[in-house]
Amino acid sequence: MDVFTLSLWALRIGFVLLIYAFFVVVARALWRDLRAGVAGAGRPLARLLVVGSPEGRPQAGTSIALDAVNSLGRDVNNSIVLDDSFVSAEHALLTFRGRAWYVEDRGSTNGTWLNGQRVEVLAPLGYGDEVQIGQVRMRLERARQE
Amino acid sequence: MSGPGGTPAPRGRRLALQQLRLHLRPRLRTRGAVPALPGGQPSSPPRVARSLLSLSLALAVAYAALAGGLAYWQVVQAQALTADPLNPLSLAAARAAPRGTIYDVNGVVLARNVRGPDGERLRQYDYPYTAPVIGYSSTVFGTAALERAYDAQLTGLVSLRPGDELLRKFRGQPYDPSDLHLSLDINLERIAVDLLGDQKGAVVAIEPATGRILALVSSPTYNPNRVVDPDGGRRYMASLQARDDSPLLDRATQGLYVPGSVFKIVTAIAGLGSGAISPQTTYPDQPAEYDAGFLVDGFRVHDFPRGVQTDHPLDFYEATEVSSNIWFAHAGLDIGAANLESWAVRLGFGARIPVDLPSSPSQITGGGGPLDGFRDRVELANAAYGQAEVLVTPLQMVLVAATIANNGVLMRPTLVDRLTASDGSVTPLEPQAWSQVCSYDTAQIIGDAMRLAVEGEYGRAFAGAAKVPGVPTAGKSGTAELGGDAAPHSWFIGYAPADAPRIAVAVIVEGGGAGAQRAVPLAGRLMSAYLGVQR
Amino acid sequence: MSRALYRAGIRPHLRWRELGLLAVVGVSLVVGWASLESFRTGELGLGNASLLTVYLIALALIHVAFVVTGRRMDEILFPTAAMLAGISLLLMNRLPQDLVTQSIAGRELPLGPLQLAWILVGFSLLAAIAIFVRSDGWLRRYKYTWAAAGIALLLLVFVFGDVVGGARLTLRIGPISGQPSELLKVILVVFLAGYLAENRALLASGSTRMRGFTLPPLPYLLPMLAMWGLALAIVIVQRDLGAALLYFLVFLALLYVATRRISYVVLGVLLFLAGGAVLYVLFTHVQDRINIWIDPFADPQGAGYQVIRALYAYGRGGILGTGLGAGLPSVGDVPSIPAIHTDFVFAALAEELGMLGALALLGLYLVIAQRGFRIAATAADDFRALLATGLTLVIVVQAAIIAGGNLRVLPLTGVTLPFISYGGSSLLVNGAVVGLLLALSDRAVEAPPPGARANVIRRAAQRARQVGGRVEEALS
Repeated sequence: MDVFTLSLWALRIGFVLLIYAFFVVVARALWRDLRAGVAGAGRPLARLLVVGSPEGRPQAGTSIALDAVNSLGRDVNNSIVLDDSFVSAEHALLTFRGRAWYVEDRGSTNGTWLNGQRVEVLAPLGYGDEVQIGQVRMRLERARQE
Repeated sequence: MSGPGGTPAPRGRRLALQQLRLHLRPRLRTRGAVPALPGGQPSSPPRVARSLLSLSLALAVAYAALAGGLAYWQVVQAQALTADPLNPLSLAAARAAPRGTIYDVNGVVLARNVRGPDGERLRQYDYPYTAPVIGYSSTVFGTAALERAYDAQLTGLVSLRPGDELLRKFRGQPYDPSDLHLSLDINLERIAVDLLGDQKGAVVAIEPATGRILALVSSPTYNPNRVVDPDGGRRYMASLQARDDSPLLDRATQGLYVPGSVFKIVTAIAGLGSGAISPQTTYPDQPAEYDAGFLVDGFRVHDFPRGVQTDHPLDFYEATEVSSNIWFAHAGLDIGAANLESWAVRLGFGARIPVDLPSSPSQITGGGGPLDGFRDRVELANAAYGQAEVLVTPLQMVLVAATIANNGVLMRPTLVDRLTASDGSVTPLEPQAWSQVCSYDTAQIIGDAMRLAVEGEYGRAFAGAAKVPGVPTAGKSGTAELGGDAAPHSWFIGYAPADAPRIAVAVIVEGGGAGAQRAVPLAGRLMSAYLGVQR
Repeated sequence: MSRALYRAGIRPHLRWRELGLLAVVGVSLVVGWASLESFRTGELGLGNASLLTVYLIALALIHVAFVVTGRRMDEILFPTAAMLAGISLLLMNRLPQDLVTQSIAGRELPLGPLQLAWILVGFSLLAAIAIFVRSDGWLRRYKYTWAAAGIALLLLVFVFGDVVGGARLTLRIGPISGQPSELLKVILVVFLAGYLAENRALLASGSTRMRGFTLPPLPYLLPMLAMWGLALAIVIVQRDLGAALLYFLVFLALLYVATRRISYVVLGVLLFLAGGAVLYVLFTHVQDRINIWIDPFADPQGAGYQVIRALYAYGRGGILGTGLGAGLPSVGDVPSIPAIHTDFVFAALAEELGMLGALALLGLYLVIAQRGFRIAATAADDFRALLATGLTLVIVVQAAIIAGGNLRVLPLTGVTLPFISYGGSSLLVNGAVVGLLLALSDRAVEAPPPGARANVIRRAAQRARQVGGRVEEALS
C-alpha cells in the first residue's frame, strides 16, 4: 500500500464523510423540529399574553405564540380562537408587517380596542400595548428567548 | 364609549340581538374573492400539519425501499454481478493483471500466459484439442467454455481470500487472479483424441462416484491458439464459422443425436423405478413378433438382428443383453408417456445440464402431442428403444451410465476440482449429489443387465469389445438409425469395474455404423487405458 | 441613512447556519475535486479547479445577497441544493467531456463548463425568486389561467416538439432546447394548491352547509380530475411515463393533505392500477417498459441493455465505491452505462461513491423534504401550505422515481434527478422551485408598511393583475 493510493482513498472516503458531516450539522435543527412537533415549530415572532378574560375562554394568563399573520375571532377557522360572547366570528387580524405589528378590525360588531382607543381599520402597536377584543384583553409581548 | 375591563350594560339587548343575528347568519364560504391582505384567509394549520406527518412517513418508507434496493445490488448481489462475463469490468481487468493458469488433474499446464510479438499478453494452449473444455480468451472474441465460466476468477475480479473484497481496493493492484485445477486427465484426453481420430463424434468420461469429468473430446474441433493470435485470428475464426462440420460446436455437451439402443437404459430406469415392469416381465407374443414384427397401431417394430434368442419370450435381462426393440417397445407402452417423462427428467432430460460449459437439453419427444407430449402410441413405442424423436447429448448419456454405476445417485458433473489463489490458499469445489434417480436395487438390476450386455453369451456379440480384460465391465451399445441411406450413429455407454466403478464413458461416432463397429472398441480401449490395463 | 437603505431593501440579517453549512459544502466539494483530479493526474492536488472556484464564488455571492437583503428564510434549503449541484458539477467534470457540447457565443462548451453555466443560471433564478418574490397573489389568484397556460404549453410540445429517444419531450427555440414537462409540473402544483385551498373545506367535509342543503363533493372533484386526466393523457401520448407518474403521485398527496381523507387516496390508487392495466394492454411501449423492469436479462442486448449496465455499475461499486474517476469502465469509447449523464446519474454516482455515497445522496433529498414540509406546516394559510407541500414533493418524488428506476425498484422512466442530472430546463425549474420554497418560508411579511409610496413597478403590477383577473373570470 503506497502513500499515493492511501491518500487517494483518504480523500475519497473523506468526501463521503463530509457529506455525512453536513447531515450532522443539519441534524440539530431537524431534531428540534421533530421534538416540537410539526405544528407551530420554530421561534414565534412574538407572544400575546391574555390579561383578562371574564368568560374564561381563553384562560387568563395564557401566552399565545404569534405568527406573521394571525386571525382572531370566535369561528374555529381562526388561528386564535376567542370563544367569548362578545367576539364576532371573524373579529380582528394581528399582523407583522415590515418591522412592526399592526392590528386591524375585520368589521366586527363590538369593535377592536387598542389601549382604550377604538381601532379604525388599521393601527400599529408595540410591545406592551393592550388589545381588547370582545371581553378579552391581551397584551403584546416579545417572544421568549429559547 | 366603553373602556378596558367593562362592557356597558345598555348595550346588552343590542348585543343579544346581534349575537342572535350572528348565529342565524348563514356561514358563507368565500369562493374566489380573496381579502386584500396579501397573507390571505388564515385558517387552521394544525390539520395540514397532521396530514403532513403521514405524508412524511410515506416518503420515508419510499426512501427506505430505495436504500434497500441499493443494499441489495451493492452488497448482496455485488459478487454475482461482478462475475458476470458481460460486465465490462472484466474487459478492463483483463488488461490489468495476468490471467490465472489452468492445470489438469496432475498439474500439467493446459493454458498459460505468454507475451505476444508486440508485448501484449496472449493466452497459450499447450494442448489444442482441449478446446471444447477450456475454450479461449481473446480480446477480440471474448471468452468461451471454461475460460468464460471462470472468467471472473481467472482475471481476478472475484477474490477467493476472505475479507479481501473490501481491502482489495486499497492495494495498488486490485485484481487477484486465481488458478484453475481441472479434473481433466490430459493423458486420458490424448488417448481419447487419438482413438477418435478424424471421425466426427464425441467422447465423455466421468468418475461416477464424484461426477468429475475425466475426459471430454469433441471432433472435429478447432485450435484456440490460432483464435487468440492477433494476426490471423479473425481470418481463422471466419473460416471456422464457414465450415459445414461445425468445429466450434462442442458435440459432447451440445450435440443432439438419436441415441438408439443406449436409450433403453433410460426406459429401464423408468420402468423398474415406476414398477410398470419387473425384471421378470415377459411378453407372450414376443416369439411370434420376431418375424411379423410387433404391430402398434399400424406400425411394425422389428428386432435387429433377428435370430438371437427368438424361441421364447425374453425377460428384462435377456432383452437388454440382446437389445430387443420389441421387448422395450412393449415395455414403453406399459410404462406410459408420463412415467417415461418424469424419470427422464430425474436424469436431467428436458433442461440444461448444470455444468460449467454451455449445454443443450436432451429430449424424449418433440413435444406438443396429445399423449403427454407424444403424438401417439407409435411414437412412444419407438421412443422406448431410442428412435422416434429422442435426441440426446453424449454428456446426458454418460450421466445415465454414471447413475447406474453410482447405485442410482446422479452426481453433478464438474470440470474444476479446486481454485488456488496467489497466496496459496485453496478453495476446493466439493462433489455434489444432483438427483436420486432410482433405488439401489433398481440400479443393481440394471447394472447386472448391462454387465450381461457386455460380457454375456449373447451380449458379447454386440459389445464384447468394450470389455476391459480382467475387469468386470458393464455397458450398452447402440446403433442409431437415421432413416434412409445414412449410416447409423455408433454409440456405447458403460462403466468399469462393474463392482466398484471408477470410470463411466459415453462414446458416439457419427455415421459409424453399428455400435459394435466403432464406438464399442473405442470405449473399451479408453477404459482399459484409464484402469491401467494393457490391451 | 439607514431608513433610506431600508427602503432600498438593504436590511442585513446574518445567517450563521447557512454560512456554516455552505462552508461544509465547500470543504467537501474541494476534497471531492481533489480526489478526482489526483486520480486523473496521478499525483495529489487539485488540478484545474477553475470550475469549482467559480461555483464556490457564486455560492458565496448568493449567500451575501441573502444576508444583505435580510430575508428571514430557511437557512438549510439553499446549502442542500448547493451540495447537490456541487456533486453534479464534480460528476459532469468527471464524465467524458464530449457527451454533450453546445456552442454558446461562438465558443464550444463541453459537458463540465456547460453544466456549470446551467447551474449558475438556475441558482441565479433561485436567488432572484427568493429575494424578490414578496407576495403570492400572482400564483394564488390566477389558477385557471395557469392551468390553461400549462395545457397550451403541453399542446405546443405535442405538435411542435422533437422526438428524442422515443419520447416527444423537447421543444427547440433556436439553439436552445428545453423540456416543458419540467415547467408543467410546477404549473400543475400551483393550480392544485390554489384549487384545493379554495375548496378544501367543501371537499373535506363531504357535506357542506350551503344555505341548508348538502352538496356532494363530486362537482368540485370533477373539474380537477378533468384537468389532471387531460394532462396525463397528453403526457402518455408523449410517452413520458415518468412525468405522468410524478403528476399523479403529487396530485394524490396534495389531495390527501388538503382533505385528510384516505378514501380519496385509495380511490386514486385503484384508478392508477386500473389505468395502468389498461395502458399495459393497449400500448406496446408501456408493455416494453414493464417487461424490461421485470426481467431485463430476457433481452440483454436490446431493451434490457441499459438497466443491466446500471446493475453492473452497482456491483462494481460495492459499499465504498470505486472512487471518483476510477469506476465506469468504458468499452472502447462507449461509456459503460448509456445516458450516463441524464437518466443514469444515480447509478454512476452509486458506482463511484459506493453505497455510502448513494445513501448520502438520498439523505440530501430527505433533508429537502423535511425543510419543505416544515415550511408547509408553519405556513400562514392553506394555499401556502399546499403550495409548499407540492413544490417539495415535485423535487423529492421525482428523485425517488428516477432513483427507483435506476435501482430496478420501479420501471425505468425518463425523468431527471433534480440538481444532479445534466439538463438546463431541469436545473432552471428546480432552482425556481427551491427559490419559491425559500420565498414561502420568509417569516417577515410580504407587504411593505402601510404609507409607503407606490412606485411605477407596483402600478404596472396592479394593471397586470387587473388583466389577469379578467382572464380568470372568463375562464372560471
